[in-house]
Amino acid sequence: MADVKIDNVIKRYGAVQVMHGVSVDIEDGEFVVLVGPSGCGKSTLLRMLAGLEEISDGTVSIGGRVVNDVLPKERDIAMVFQSYALYPHKTVFDNIGFPLKMAQRSKDEIREKVEHAAGILDLTKYLKRFPKELSGGQRQRVAMGRAIVRDPQVFLFDEPLSNLDAKLRVTMRVEIKELHQRLGTTIVYVTHDQIEAMTMADKIVVMRDGRVEQIGSPLDLYDHPANVFVAGFIGSPSMNFLHGRIASEGEAQRFVSDSGLTLPVPAGRAADGQAVTYGIRPEDIAIGEGGVPVQVVVVEPTGSETQVFARSGKDLIDAIVKERLSARPGQEIGFVIDPAKVHLFDRDSEQHL
Amino acid sequence: MHSNRLGWWLLAPTLLVLFLFGAVPFFYVVWLSFHQWNPFAVNPEIIYTGADNFRRLVFDSGFLASLGVTVAFVVFAVLTELIVGYLLATAFMKDFPGKAIFRTIHTLPLIMAPIIVGSIWKLMTTPSIGIIPHLLDEWIGYDLNIGQSALAAFTVTVIMDVWHWTPLVTLTLIAALVSLPADPFEQAQIDGAGKRQIFWHITLPMIAPAVVATVFIRLMDALRTVDEVLMLTGGGPGSATRYLGVHIFKEVFPKTNYGYGSAISVIVLYLTIVVCWLLYVGMLAPRTKK
Ligand SMILES: Nc1ncnc2c1ncn2[C@@H]1O[C@H](COP(=O)(O)OP(=O)(O)O)[C@@H](O)[C@H]1O
Ligand SMILES: [Mg+2]
Repeated sequence: MADVKIDNVIKRYGAVQVMHGVSVDIEDGEFVVLVGPSGCGKSTLLRMLAGLEEISDGTVSIGGRVVNDVLPKERDIAMVFQSYALYPHKTVFDNIGFPLKMAQRSKDEIREKVEHAAGILDLTKYLKRFPKELSGGQRQRVAMGRAIVRDPQVFLFDEPLSNLDAKLRVTMRVEIKELHQRLGTTIVYVTHDQIEAMTMADKIVVMRDGRVEQIGSPLDLYDHPANVFVAGFIGSPSMNFLHGRIASEGEAQRFVSDSGLTLPVPAGRAADGQAVTYGIRPEDIAIGEGGVPVQVVVVEPTGSETQVFARSGKDLIDAIVKERLSARPGQEIGFVIDPAKVHLFDRDSEQHL
Repeated sequence: MHSNRLGWWLLAPTLLVLFLFGAVPFFYVVWLSFHQWNPFAVNPEIIYTGADNFRRLVFDSGFLASLGVTVAFVVFAVLTELIVGYLLATAFMKDFPGKAIFRTIHTLPLIMAPIIVGSIWKLMTTPSIGIIPHLLDEWIGYDLNIGQSALAAFTVTVIMDVWHWTPLVTLTLIAALVSLPADPFEQAQIDGAGKRQIFWHITLPMIAPAVVATVFIRLMDALRTVDEVLMLTGGGPGSATRYLGVHIFKEVFPKTNYGYGSAISVIVLYLTIVVCWLLYVGMLAPRTKK
């Protein structure tokens, strides 16, 4: 077990710079999720931690030791690739046992550990099979098994669940989380799926275009997004954004959208006349009397909740409510918005106000 | 059914050619190997002799000696070709200046007819004319004479074969290496494998099918080497380079001993099949069986 420090790391491929000074502190035993849209540099960062990719500038330390020039095999890390990277010519048993064999453990110890891991991962029946004789979920578990027999300093996961179907993904999510609770090993986990990030992480690192946008606990990011990008990325369905200005109306401030919709805002955040982006999460909108009048476009009941897409002028807003709704498309309803739940961002810098 | 019959009609010319030029001579040779036939002898009849030819083979010291040097030749040549071919293939996987030109030049021996290769090497190794004895004498004072030294003649035939056929091994191994996925190699580094362990545990097993196929091809070719060696040494000195192909040639044509020659051919074929089968079982079968 070890802490990991990523300090001002830069990555260039030839003349192209894809990572622009990334710094993340990961504590011993922490479950950290790197999340961001495809191509933002998550895999590259993880591969630099693993030693598979050269670090152009900055330092990476594991357990207090700078590892920039340390070979992957000497970093004492385990990694699960998105493709699983199983050895096609080895059986499940030999795949899982390979790191132990390389560490020159005894045959008995290898058998014991592989069988133990196979038991945890429900692979006991498949130990003699070859990877091509397994389903996607089983292959994924073999890759997991090969990581957990190691007892490494740090686990690295690169989108390990993205090739699985939705149901299996949820199950494996829980199992990885459980694994972490049992082993207590530091985990760095890459995903583009914000739900995975929210449900698994102790700490989330949101990345975009080779930069860190924000670091914080899942709820921290949800409640206090630093900018429009994080606010839009975290939370599902995603936050509603409207462009407009702050206007005074007697005592109280109001937000007036470019197409004329007037919405309540928290007092004193922005100056009168300031151009802002107005953000409100669908789940923070209630439906009721005296709300902002909007026209229903689509109602999508899922049973446990109802999602309502509604329009006012050119602005499209969606809301999620617990109650069942009998509203018809075109009907006028009221959106009740609690000003305390509203996020205001500067229009140009996109930073939270 | 209709399209099926059409398919057979379309295949018919090929099948006919294969049958006439593949199956017929093959069975003819097998049939002949159980007979005695010397068309220029007093009795030019084809006489059935049962397994006599084969019985004779087992005690034929000429044949056994030929078998011995052939095995040595094949082992040295094919092993060297594999090792050199692999090293060249890994070199060609990297970038270096002049790579394209070098790769082209290095494959040139492949397009030469064996008889020409034999002539060139004969020219290069003839004492007092050839460049190789000249240089060896100049540099290390070694007197290369493949007409007299059995070891020298054997070694030169091996080197000639290596020179001629290594490019084939390089090409097939390059193709195999290029098609390997990158992930298992990265994973192996993370799993703690060093360069040598990666070679033995990952690279070699993953290119094994290509290696085995290459060995098959080279083995079959090397076992029936005739023209190059016949040109270079004529099988000598003595019978030092009288490999099976050369032996059969010398047995059949000057002595017109067709039945006996056929028997040797059948044995060579049988040996080739057995060796290839052993290789296949040893290297590939474990992974395909459940
Ligand atoms: N070998 C490479 N050469 C050049 N650019 C690369 C290479 N690998 C990745 N990149 C670039 O680096 C960026 C980050 O890639 P990656 O880390 O794979 O993104 P992510 O995993 O977040 O989807 C991308 O813009 C990608 O095009
Ligand atoms: Mg990626």
